[in-house]
Amino acid sequence: MKLAEESFLTDDFLRQLINVGEVDILVGLPTHNDAKTIGSIVHTIQRDILRCFPRERAVIINADGGSRDGTPELVTGVSIDDLRPASNPYALRTLHSISTRYAASPSSGVALRTILAAAELLRAKACVVMSPESANIESEWLSKLLRPIYRDGFDLVTPTYGRHKFEGLLITNLLYPMVRALYGVRIREAYSPEFGFSGRLGSQFLGQNVWNDGADGAGVELRFTLAAITGGYRICQSFLGEKDHIERRGADLVPALRQTVGALFSVLEADFPVWSSVAGSQPVPTTGADQKVLLEPVRVNRKRLREMFSTGVAELDSVFQSILSPSTLAELRRIARLEEAEFRYPAELWVRTVYEFAAAYRKSVISRDHIIQALAPLFRGRVFTFVTENRSASADDVENNIEGLCLEFEQLKPYLLQMWKSRK
Amino acid sequence: MPLNRDVLWYKDAIIYQVHVRTFHDSNGDGIGDFQGLEGKLDYLQELGISAIWLMPFFPSPLRDDGYDISDYVSVHSSYGTLEDFRKFLGAAHARGIRVIIEMVLNHTSDQHPWFQESRSSRDNPRRDWYVWSDTNTRYKDARVIFLDTETSNWAWDPISKSYYWHRFFSHQPDLNYDNPAVREQMWNVMKFWLEMGVDAFRLDAVPYLVEREGTNCENLPETHGVLKELRRKLDEQFPGRMLLAEANQWPADLRPYFGDGDEFHMAFHFPLMPRMFMGVKLEDRKPITEILQQTPEIPPLCQWSLFLRNHDELTLEMVTDMERDYMYDTYAGTKTMRLNLGIRRRLAPLLDNDRRRIELMNGMLMSLPGTPIIYYGDEIGMGDNINLGDRNGVRTPMQWSGGRNGGFSTVDPERLYAPLIEDPVYGYPAVNVLRQTETGHSLLHWMRRMITVRRSTAVFGRGSIEFLYPASHRILAYVRRLGSEAVLVVNNLSSTAQAVELDLRRYKGNILIEMSGKNMFPRVSDLPYLLTMGPYQFYWFWLRRI
Repeated sequence: MKLAEESFLTDDFLRQLINVGEVDILVGLPTHNDAKTIGSIVHTIQRDILRCFPRERAVIINADGGSRDGTPELVTGVSIDDLRPASNPYALRTLHSISTRYAASPSSGVALRTILAAAELLRAKACVVMSPESANIESEWLSKLLRPIYRDGFDLVTPTYGRHKFEGLLITNLLYPMVRALYGVRIREAYSPEFGFSGRLGSQFLGQNVWNDGADGAGVELRFTLAAITGGYRICQSFLGEKDHIERRGADLVPALRQTVGALFSVLEADFPVWSSVAGSQPVPTTGADQKVLLEPVRVNRKRLREMFSTGVAELDSVFQSILSPSTLAELRRIARLEEAEFRYPAELWVRTVYEFAAAYRKSVISRDHIIQALAPLFRGRVFTFVTENRSASADDVENNIEGLCLEFEQLKPYLLQMWKSRK
Repeated sequence: MPLNRDVLWYKDAIIYQVHVRTFHDSNGDGIGDFQGLEGKLDYLQELGISAIWLMPFFPSPLRDDGYDISDYVSVHSSYGTLEDFRKFLGAAHARGIRVIIEMVLNHTSDQHPWFQESRSSRDNPRRDWYVWSDTNTRYKDARVIFLDTETSNWAWDPISKSYYWHRFFSHQPDLNYDNPAVREQMWNVMKFWLEMGVDAFRLDAVPYLVEREGTNCENLPETHGVLKELRRKLDEQFPGRMLLAEANQWPADLRPYFGDGDEFHMAFHFPLMPRMFMGVKLEDRKPITEILQQTPEIPPLCQWSLFLRNHDELTLEMVTDMERDYMYDTYAGTKTMRLNLGIRRRLAPLLDNDRRRIELMNGMLMSLPGTPIIYYGDEIGMGDNINLGDRNGVRTPMQWSGGRNGGFSTVDPERLYAPLIEDPVYGYPAVNVLRQTETGHSLLHWMRRMITVRRSTAVFGRGSIEFLYPASHRILAYVRRLGSEAVLVVNNLSSTAQAVELDLRRYKGNILIEMSGKNMFPRVSDLPYLLTMGPYQFYWFWLRRI
């Protein structure tokens, strides 16, 4: 089969897709060794489909990165069909759960590409990607992400969560304010493992020439969101509730920076015609609460954060000389010498730092990956300051502080444009 | 053509359901009659059917289309005489067509002399032929069936100043089957018709014959006792005759009506019918295969009777609430199409007059296990008139031609028992027997061909069924087997073309011969057997080892 020879989809997966046929709703599940959670997640998804979309043709597509713990079997084992009528006697129609193992090491990019390809082949009207790493997928998450697409004509639904004020700091201190400032859209979780999208957006992104220039790797979800923004698609947010993550070994800052900041920086050049002309920002329609900040006391090792900042500034000085302007670097050197009690990484300095990193990334002043890695100690310094400033803050205060940082990003956007165009 | 003497004739039968009133008017009074029906027997013989099921033709005030009988051993004067019926019966038999008549055991009309006597005084000898009570609180666990018109199963009788029991309309009092005299009398009624030569009875509303406190008064052991007694007498005195049960129940509840082969020969499979419609609309075989999986085995001499549409509404009693909502939304968009718990529409309008879907549904009807029943007019795709009350919209005159009154009657149109369908799509000028007879690719010709194919083998009427479950849920595939004969049936329930791979390894070495055109398809091997199916297409293949 020529199609199969040219396709990154396996023949077996194509055969499964042929058997499924056209669907209204597609649920994508990227997995890799998720046997502990996948069973309950699929059951929750099934329950939601049967309750909220009982008449729609639906399929669960598992794109697996080579699990050795039986994850795919757990997904396919819960199909609702007429071979096992006892599986759900109240289901109006067949609900397929199919699985494919893609021919690559575990990668959210390959998984998403597989899901998008399946969505296009099945002509799915509304799709959702759910993360098996969410330890507490609640009933209704699925419908909250799908309903705005299936019923209200939106093309992308990003989630908002109830988070602890010190959780998701990379989002609140960098990703959210920078995306907002550059693209003019206030999407709280532009990079999320859970999101809903229309078939037409999925097809458009699948057809973009992004899969061979790094999108196969991390951060493709963010690129997907940015593609929806730049493509003029209808976007909304849906509040899902509190989210617990499965703790994974090795989940540290640098990979997270690569997935988020690296992905964002990598598209800025192509998107320059769009974001360079945007001023200010606009909210997007949101279902449910905008977000929810949880305040339970948690222990944060601020001393360690500050030490890592100071050490990083000292050890990476030569790297920073290539990336940062002399004034920004001088200010960083100054605050690195401050005692813990006096240490602050002010919002304006943080925004200038990030923008200078973005410009340096564009110009590839050094290896782009080294640029991303070099941001890690500085981010820790910013986290120290955020934690300090919000240690006893109320939920409203925390939100106000995040809003202040966002405005700082917006106000300093001309500085980014200036840096972007400068020769150095 | 003489009658087939096989006592299992009902297993191979194709039954045609018709009300004498609707078929043909021979005397120009606007109402169909037995002479008219007799005059159309050649048409039915050519169609290929082997049995006619006649709806009630007995004297009746006709407040429930004849199911309110006021005399069990005569013919309503509008339809002719007893002699006319006898002649019709003989003419049908001469063409190899058996005749099934209705027997409404559960109740009579309130105009029946038995009820008139019963209500006349509390000490009348026939007082105990019906179910009377001083209160309306007995048997409170019994549901009300005609929800749109009745609020209780008890009705007050102002003459005898007490309540009488009725499971259907209040003008249809239930007979009291605890009374041996009633049981004896009803057997005498059946014997009257059997002695005349009637081949079978469709026994109406059988689950409700007996009432018991603390129960829902349906499917009671005492009711089965009454029915077994009738069957025993039938077998003893009239072997080869048949009883068909009308019991709108779940398959498991229906199973006891077959007993150990000593109660009914046949019973309608009510839950299957709506699920066939559902399967085609959902483009998913699940509703069909699930209900058939839940259908228990029946004794070897027994048979299910299958139908797509009949004289009643498309009943949705035997579906879940969610399924009913789906059926209403997809098949009865306006409330006037709904009646009781059902949809009062004919086959063609239900399927948007889509020839492909009409053929697919008939293909399934004739290939699933059971004896198919064709409702009059559905063989030419007649429409309905939802502006007529109750179920009268699906009981309009048969459309024979594009001429006066559709060839049904010579009377002035305003004197017809019911107006003909006249809309541009389904009206008699467009849809009629004459035009379709003259058109080689008409639905009528297609039905004749399929009936011929169906009757060319006993495997459909008597064979086992084995579902194949291909991975595509849009494909309903099964193998019917009888002895060494095997037929593969593949139905595409989808509105779009489908590729399907069938696991036929069990039949490795067989070649497939399409039964309609007799063309060969490739031999079965160890590999999945690939078929491509057009929208709503179906195939019947002989599996032949040559």
